[in-house]
Amino acid sequence: MGFNVETLPAYAKRSQRMVITAPPVTNQPVTPKALTAGQNKPHPPHIPGHFPEFPDPHTYIKTPTYREPVSDYQVLREKAASQRRDVERALTRFMAKTGETQSLFKDDVSTFPLIAARPFTVPYLTALLPSELEMQQMEETDSSEQDEQTDTENLPLHMSTEEAGPEKENSSVLQQSSSLAGSRNGEENVIDNPYLRPVKKPKIRRKK
Amino acid sequence: MNRKKGDKGFESPRPYKLTHQVVCINNINFQRKSVVGYVELTIFPTVANLNRIKLNSKQCRIYRVRVNDLEAAFIYNDPTLEVCHHESKQNLNYFSNAYAAAVSAVDPDAGNGELCIKVPSELWKHVDELKVLKVHINFSLDQPKGGLHFVVPDMEGNMAERGAHVFSCGYQNSTRFWFPCVDSYSELCTWKLEYTVDAAMVAVSNGDLVETVYTHDMRKKTFHYMLTIPTAASNISLAIGPFEILVDPYMHEVTHFCLPQLLPLLKHTTSYLHEVFEFYEEILTCRYPYSCFKTVFIDEAYVEVAAYASMSIFSTNLLHSAMIIDETPLTRRCLAQALAQQFFGCFISRMSWSDEWVLKGISGYIYGLWMKKTFGVNEYRHWIKQELDQIVAYELKTGGVLLHPIFGGGKEKDNPASHLHFSIKHPHTLSWEYYTMFQCKAHLVMRLIENRISMEFMLQVFNKLLSLASTASSQKFQSHMWSQMLVSTSGFLKSISNVSGKDIQPLIKQWVDQSGVVKFYGSFAFNRKRNVLELEIKQDYTSPGTQKYVGPLKVTVQELDGSFNHTLQIEENSLKHDIPCHSKSRRNKKKKIPLMNGEEVDMDLSAMDADSPLLWIRIDPDMSVLRKVEFEQSDFMWQYQLRYERDVVAQEEAILALEKFPTPASRLALTDILEQEQCFYRVRMLACFCLAKIANSMVSTWTGPPAMKSLFTRMFCCKTCPNIVKTNNFMNFQSYFLQKTMPVAMALLRDVHNLCPKEVLMFILDLIKYNDNRKNKFSDNYYRAELIDALANSVTPAVSVNNEVRTLDNLNPDVRLILEEITRFLNMEKLLPSYRHTITVSCLKAIRVLQKNGHVPSDPALFKSYAEYGHFVDVRIAALEAVVDYTKVDRSYEELQWLLSMVQNDPVPYIRHKILDMLTKNPPFTKNMESPLCNEALVDQLWKLMNSGTSHDWRLRCGAVDLYFTLFGLSRPSCLPLPELGLVLNLKEKKAVLNPTIIPESVANNQEPVISSNNHGQSVGFQNTEDDHLIKETASSISGHQQGVKRKADMPLGSPLEPGQILEKNEDSKVKLKIRFSNSQEEEEIDMDTVHDSQAFIYHHLNMLERPSTPGKEQSSGEITMHPVSAAPLSVFSKESNSSKHSDHHHHHHHEHKKKKKKHKHKHKHKHKHDTKEKEKDPFVFSNSPASARSIRSPSLSD
Repeated sequence: MGFNVETLPAYAKRSQRMVITAPPVTNQPVTPKALTAGQNKPHPPHIPGHFPEFPDPHTYIKTPTYREPVSDYQVLREKAASQRRDVERALTRFMAKTGETQSLFKDDVSTFPLIAARPFTVPYLTALLPSELEMQQMEETDSSEQDEQTDTENLPLHMSTEEAGPEKENSSVLQQSSSLAGSRNGEENVIDNPYLRPVKKPKIRRKK
Repeated sequence: MNRKKGDKGFESPRPYKLTHQVVCINNINFQRKSVVGYVELTIFPTVANLNRIKLNSKQCRIYRVRVNDLEAAFIYNDPTLEVCHHESKQNLNYFSNAYAAAVSAVDPDAGNGELCIKVPSELWKHVDELKVLKVHINFSLDQPKGGLHFVVPDMEGNMAERGAHVFSCGYQNSTRFWFPCVDSYSELCTWKLEYTVDAAMVAVSNGDLVETVYTHDMRKKTFHYMLTIPTAASNISLAIGPFEILVDPYMHEVTHFCLPQLLPLLKHTTSYLHEVFEFYEEILTCRYPYSCFKTVFIDEAYVEVAAYASMSIFSTNLLHSAMIIDETPLTRRCLAQALAQQFFGCFISRMSWSDEWVLKGISGYIYGLWMKKTFGVNEYRHWIKQELDQIVAYELKTGGVLLHPIFGGGKEKDNPASHLHFSIKHPHTLSWEYYTMFQCKAHLVMRLIENRISMEFMLQVFNKLLSLASTASSQKFQSHMWSQMLVSTSGFLKSISNVSGKDIQPLIKQWVDQSGVVKFYGSFAFNRKRNVLELEIKQDYTSPGTQKYVGPLKVTVQELDGSFNHTLQIEENSLKHDIPCHSKSRRNKKKKIPLMNGEEVDMDLSAMDADSPLLWIRIDPDMSVLRKVEFEQSDFMWQYQLRYERDVVAQEEAILALEKFPTPASRLALTDILEQEQCFYRVRMLACFCLAKIANSMVSTWTGPPAMKSLFTRMFCCKTCPNIVKTNNFMNFQSYFLQKTMPVAMALLRDVHNLCPKEVLMFILDLIKYNDNRKNKFSDNYYRAELIDALANSVTPAVSVNNEVRTLDNLNPDVRLILEEITRFLNMEKLLPSYRHTITVSCLKAIRVLQKNGHVPSDPALFKSYAEYGHFVDVRIAALEAVVDYTKVDRSYEELQWLLSMVQNDPVPYIRHKILDMLTKNPPFTKNMESPLCNEALVDQLWKLMNSGTSHDWRLRCGAVDLYFTLFGLSRPSCLPLPELGLVLNLKEKKAVLNPTIIPESVANNQEPVISSNNHGQSVGFQNTEDDHLIKETASSISGHQQGVKRKADMPLGSPLEPGQILEKNEDSKVKLKIRFSNSQEEEEIDMDTVHDSQAFIYHHLNMLERPSTPGKEQSSGEITMHPVSAAPLSVFSKESNSSKHSDHHHHHHHEHKKKKKKHKHKHKHKHKHDTKEKEKDPFVFSNSPASARSIRSPSLSD
């Protein structure tokens, strides 16, 4: 190859040779402890033992990051109360702004706007019938508190029903049995009430 | 005169007996509010020469009367339309007499009536054989103002869709307002009732619905009712409307009716009624007397409950859903009351007005028994105490309520009720308040009788009355048994003595035949040596409304060894009573103390007096005397009584007494009671208010948080966050009531600056803020309403800096918070209205409080808008109350006028009545008080109102009389020119002027008027601003001559100054001093018409039948009859004769003179007036008005 082998040692010892130092021996880097978030899960029984280990849990476990929910009763009540108040206020103000108002102060009509009083054609209906909201509430509570209701029903206002029970029965046996019979036989056709009877045709002219 | 003959039965005041009546209403027009129909009365003459038949009828237009198919002449004459026929008098005493006389003149119980039918001569023979007569009367009613009430909502749709309805109503016997009848509770007959109504409507009336038949066009149907139980016309009723029908599920013979859409409420409300039925049937051991029962709930009710034969008419506002707590017991009470009256009041009627107390007493008494059973003994005793307190307060205020007025035969003058400003001779002249109290007293007296003879006997008596009546009711008329269905005082007492064998005469004499209550003052000392309790009981029997009590009196003494009853004999002069004590004081021995009810309790005896064994003393603990007791015992005794006495009445008395002892010990006792759950809730509620008062008295030494705050927190707030109230749960009604009440009481607390502590206000605001009803099965509307009341209670007067105008800028920050809440609540009500608008009601009240305390400018505009027709009645009343208050505080003439015009024009009778009632209770001024409102115009206006403006409604008229009395008193209103000798009365009445022409006095007369006009001209003229009103109202004013008569008669009454003098003058000189002043001039012409009858009026009284009459003439009869009653009987005769003589001349001259003179004077006057006004008004004297100023001087002039 045209190269003298003998010259090799000399070349190796030449002055400007580059010395490559041996790479320093470093310890094998240990897998960082920080990442062992929790224990690696052992294999469940259905996975054969030769399968690789589960990865560290942090790779598949989610970490919730939102703030803790407010479960404090007081705060909840507070919130519900102010929310309702705000809604009511906004609503009534809106109604007041869009309709006629009355005011307690001559100089200021906006601070305490009162929705103007408007007469009804049939005032007793709104006054007596429960509002839809109440009806709804009633249905809800009715189902849930049925039992309680029967308990308290007899309490203060109807105290008597129980005490007077026996005597009452005696006196009104007749009446009760008749009414019971009526309701047992059931339907309306048994109830003989003149207001439920059909209206007669005017064939015969009745005059008394 | 209708005198009952004890057990001998009943003697009819009429010369005939009614056996059957047909009422047929063929047409009802809701649009025009009119009714057309006929009645047919079957009568049997009881005397041979019966030629006139008197019936009652008001408002009805009578077209035709036939007797046994023969046309009959008739006269219609109603003196109550206008009581006094001239404006001169204006003295209430005079009016009341005249009114009583007018009512008498048509009183069916005296055989009188407005309608007099002449039996055709063809039938005379027939009559002489006492054969039956059929009186057939065709009538119509157009826009009735009383008796029948139409409710026609103004909206789209036909009448049924609009919920239009009509019903009968009225106070006592008022059936004559809607069909001709014998409107007496003592004239019984069987009934056939027919109503033809729109096919979509239902007609509910008395008795059995026999059938319903379509008319030929099928657009209407006719309801045929038969009432076979003899019934008084006054117990006949009617309700027609597009009602929803509910057959009672427990009792199919009971049917309930309500207005469209309310059926669910009706179901709930009436679901309880069968229990009431059972109760009454059981205690009375008697079946319900009618074969059916109907309840009808209608709008714009006259009264909440009205009972008629086999049906009751209720206010629709009693209906409620299962969510409503507060209304439930109230409504049940109304139902029970109505049913009690079915037995006593409808089935059993009364012989005469003076027997009314028996019916009211019995129905009230058995209603009380029902209360006891239903709500418990505590509630019952509380109620009795409340009723007792009421009647006592009323009697002490007004001078007595007489249950059984006996009017001597003939014309005795000794008026049993001279202390009153109205006659108690007729139900229709009674003040409504008096009548309410009358009923209250009646049932209390029944209870006294029960105490005396035992309940068992009492019920036996009732049973006996009922069984007699029911036997009688099934008899034919010919058996003459029907009078057994009428109760009389003597018959009732006789039954009592037969059944019980006891003599209750003294009791009756004390409480029934005599008015007044007993007033005890008690105090005691303990005599240690003798171990005797020295009790001193004094009576006040000289004050008005009191009477002396002689007889047994129970005293209960709680000692260490137990409770002991002592019966003292109260006698004429014995004040002191020695009661031996059973126990020595020995407090060291720790031993339980036996109470009255057998219970033994531990007490901390450290508070009591070491020397005395007395824990507490009670006088008349069973309330067996109608009395007021003021008893003195030391504070610790009251405290023991409150803590340990088990009777709620004793506890309530102790609470009231403790108000005067603001000590820590009282505070502790009250707090303990508040916390004690076994304690009756009403007592605890009362304790709240007492605690607030005590806290205020102790304000400087009070320690700890504001009273009740920690208690409330403990009971009703969350454990974890004590500032937040628990979500509402009203299952436990007792604590519900307490929860409602405590904030209201707390708001009454005041700090050293007399302001509501900030802490309390914040606390209440928090309650409102955190109120949460979502989980509650009951509505919280009453609770919220009370929280608003609490806010209102916390308001204190604004500190005002030299009367600055109230504006938003200077609004107190606390008030701003309150206002914020009120605004929100009130606005929310528009979107989510509460039951019965309780919240609106509370808001309106609160706003008025803010106005009154100067935080918000005082302004009635808001209230006036809420008071309009079309708002719910509770809201209207609250608003009107505010306007009434404003009228008083701001002395606003304008508002007073507004109110009075509402009294005249409002469509709802209850509102009209209530306005007068509220004005009477909170009057803008009272007699002897100076007020710019008190002027002649007002006098005239009110006078017109009661004289003629309210003739369609007895209750309203009596309300106007009450108001007039409150404002002006019995004698001549002080704002009128003072009567000056003879001139007095004439001042105001120009009509009088005429008289002079009639009589020789004319000369004198000429002068007199001049003089008088000089004297008084200005003053009189002054008031004439009102002329306009007068003119309007005098529609049927009266003839001058009558005035003459009256005037004379009145003088004694009218001029309390020197009646003698006046009289003399009149008689001697025969001067009729008639000065006709500016008054309603235009009317004079009308007067003439009535003049014709003037002469007749005397005869008329004697025998009205003898002469033909025209409407209006009868009026005079009223006046005549009253003369005897007047204070100066002597003069009466001459006067009457005089007047009747002149009367002839009178009307001749009348026309000319009147016209001339009047115009003249009038103008003159007016000028005068203006002058004077200008001159005299400026000085601040105004309140007195120049008129009165003058008149004060005038007596001296005349001297």
